[in-house]
Amino acid sequence: MLVIHIQLYSILREKLPEEAKGRADLQFELGSTLTDLLGELGISRRVVISMNDEHETDRTRELQDGDEIKIFSSISGG
Amino acid sequence: MSHGYNGKILHVDLTEGHLSVEEPDEAFFRKYMGGSAMAMYYLLNDMAPGVDPLGPENVLVLALSVLTGTAVSGQSRMTAAAKSPLTGGIGDSQGGGFFPAEMKFAGFDAIVIKGKAEKPVYLWINEGEYELRDASHLWGKITGEAEAALKEELDDNKIEVLQIGPAGEKMVRFAGIFSMSNRANGRTGMGAVMGSKNLKAVVVRGKKRPSVADKARVNQLARWGSSNLADSDIAGLAKYGTAETTGSNQTSGTLPAYNFNSGVFDGWEAIDGTTMYDTILKGAAEGKQDREGRDTCYACTVRCKRVAEIKEGKYKVDPHYGGPEYETTSTFGNYNAIDDLAAIAKANELCNKYGMDSISCGATISWAYEAFNEGKLTLEDTDGLDLTWGNADSMVKLTEKIAKREGFGDVLAEGSARAAEKIGRGTEEYLITFKGQEAPAHMPRVKRSLAVIYATNPFGADHQSSEHDPAIEGDFEFYTDRMAVLGFTEEQETRSLSDEKIRFAMASQHMYSTMDSLNLCQFVYGPAWQLYGPDDMVELVRAVTGWERVNFEELQIVGERRLNMMRMFNAREGIDRKADVVPDKLFKPLKGGVSEGWKLDRDEVEAALDKYFEFCGWDVETGIPTAEKLEELDLGWVVAE
Repeated sequence: MLVIHIQLYSILREKLPEEAKGRADLQFELGSTLTDLLGELGISRRVVISMNDEHETDRTRELQDGDEIKIFSSISGG
Repeated sequence: MSHGYNGKILHVDLTEGHLSVEEPDEAFFRKYMGGSAMAMYYLLNDMAPGVDPLGPENVLVLALSVLTGTAVSGQSRMTAAAKSPLTGGIGDSQGGGFFPAEMKFAGFDAIVIKGKAEKPVYLWINEGEYELRDASHLWGKITGEAEAALKEELDDNKIEVLQIGPAGEKMVRFAGIFSMSNRANGRTGMGAVMGSKNLKAVVVRGKKRPSVADKARVNQLARWGSSNLADSDIAGLAKYGTAETTGSNQTSGTLPAYNFNSGVFDGWEAIDGTTMYDTILKGAAEGKQDREGRDTCYACTVRCKRVAEIKEGKYKVDPHYGGPEYETTSTFGNYNAIDDLAAIAKANELCNKYGMDSISCGATISWAYEAFNEGKLTLEDTDGLDLTWGNADSMVKLTEKIAKREGFGDVLAEGSARAAEKIGRGTEEYLITFKGQEAPAHMPRVKRSLAVIYATNPFGADHQSSEHDPAIEGDFEFYTDRMAVLGFTEEQETRSLSDEKIRFAMASQHMYSTMDSLNLCQFVYGPAWQLYGPDDMVELVRAVTGWERVNFEELQIVGERRLNMMRMFNAREGIDRKADVVPDKLFKPLKGGVSEGWKLDRDEVEAALDKYFEFCGWDVETGIPTAEKLEELDLGWVVAE
């Protein structure tokens, strides 16, 4: 098993209990990917992901123990 | 039987004090639909080329569309257009709120304003009746005070007031026109034009709802929007405001910082939409901000507008003046490396009180910050203000000085391009202006179609004139159905300027141009992530007007028609391809973060411009629409001008 630290912003915070303010530590099986994480959180729409302070667009990227992942709901204009 | 519009245009000659009503036929409304396209018709017909934008010969048009005032989200918006005192070419801006719908209820589709009143006046339109009234007692008042005085004077709390603040009176070149004291027709200096005419306000009141061809279908669309908002891509924007996009821009290296020298800003989280929601929205302390800290436009279910309130501390903020958008948190915040949300909210309040565009204001200040940090401006130039990156106090003070045209503020009130010309010392290299208008908070070095649109857009840099690159790049898979309606079925490479990308820029520009003519909100309608897509837009026009044969192609032509009229307006002013210039700064590499080193390439941009003009059917050498293109768009009368 591995543990990752996530921070969700804006409307995505509501995927977690209100008191969590979008923060959570989640456990995954070794070999799990960003797609698994999004599935676990029930996110199917467009999001922008920061993984250890890098912009990550590859949803097949495997999660590593201790990863810091920020997920943003966002429009692309405005 | 016409539906959706009143069929009445009010013509106001302020010099003569003469008011008259024109009643165009249905073909006119079908051809131009309203808003910006309709405004262009009057500007091209009623104004001679070469006039002083701040002189009485300039014409200011306030225009609604055939959809304004119907009970569906995203329709209560109005165009303000005139020759721009900021760019010297066409000026155009869009604003929302309740004024647009109320103006429709008061009986008019557009107001065409010429001349200059001898002394300050306001235009009062009440249930189809109209008159000019003395506004001497309102001159000099900030927006909130003038609005309150008018409500008392007219003894009616339900009037809607569209006005300029003191910055418009003083003709700050990026002064805007405001309603509700917090909704702006912000861009291109339309408030300065209104100020130059001694027109303080337009006040409207009416109860006549526009007739709708098929109310059931309009209601169905409205209900669909309400039901689907929570599951849509704008759910976050609705609840957390446009500044929700700060973090994603930071992540993708598209958050303009340090006056566009960087695409990232370490202090972003202190000023983003989530933090704003948790801290400064009205009611946040009691957890009531969802109800008290959000506001809306007439009949809109989205409620994306912010209401900020700060009662304690150095920067107190009055909720009457709304709250900052993403553009404002950026231009006052990350542009200047400022992470003080209270200071940014204060600057936003000042812009709304005094009536200034927060994009050009913050960006002009950012030009000064860079010049100061590079040693090109000194404390002697800045009236003693320390403009070191990150200094929030100086930013707030400078905002007020600009509004009042005091000291160094008077230099900046001319906009950054004129300020750089006056100061010299090589400060031109810090400009991020296109045709003299400061760039909004998006990054053409990464979203490269924006370089083409910003350069060619007739009124300068504008982030709301086309769909941004992600819709046809990494996000394409989410929007395949809507993008296919626009004509695009293949994802494009990130940061490319492929032919297909340029065609996307043009086609989406036509759709956005259509939306500015239908006066539709571009968060609520659009070709990708917006609540409603292109098909819904067509259905709305059909259901409201009864023009059942309207299709997407016809609507795209309305947008293309507007754009071509704007290019022709500029051509008459001697503005052609030579003015379609990307500022030097964008050819220099970004520093820091994920976008480190990214820059535009001059040859690639020039080749893209060639291709864009070719696709538009414009002369590639001059960028001017050809006679054939104008004939094709049923604009032969423009050629004859």
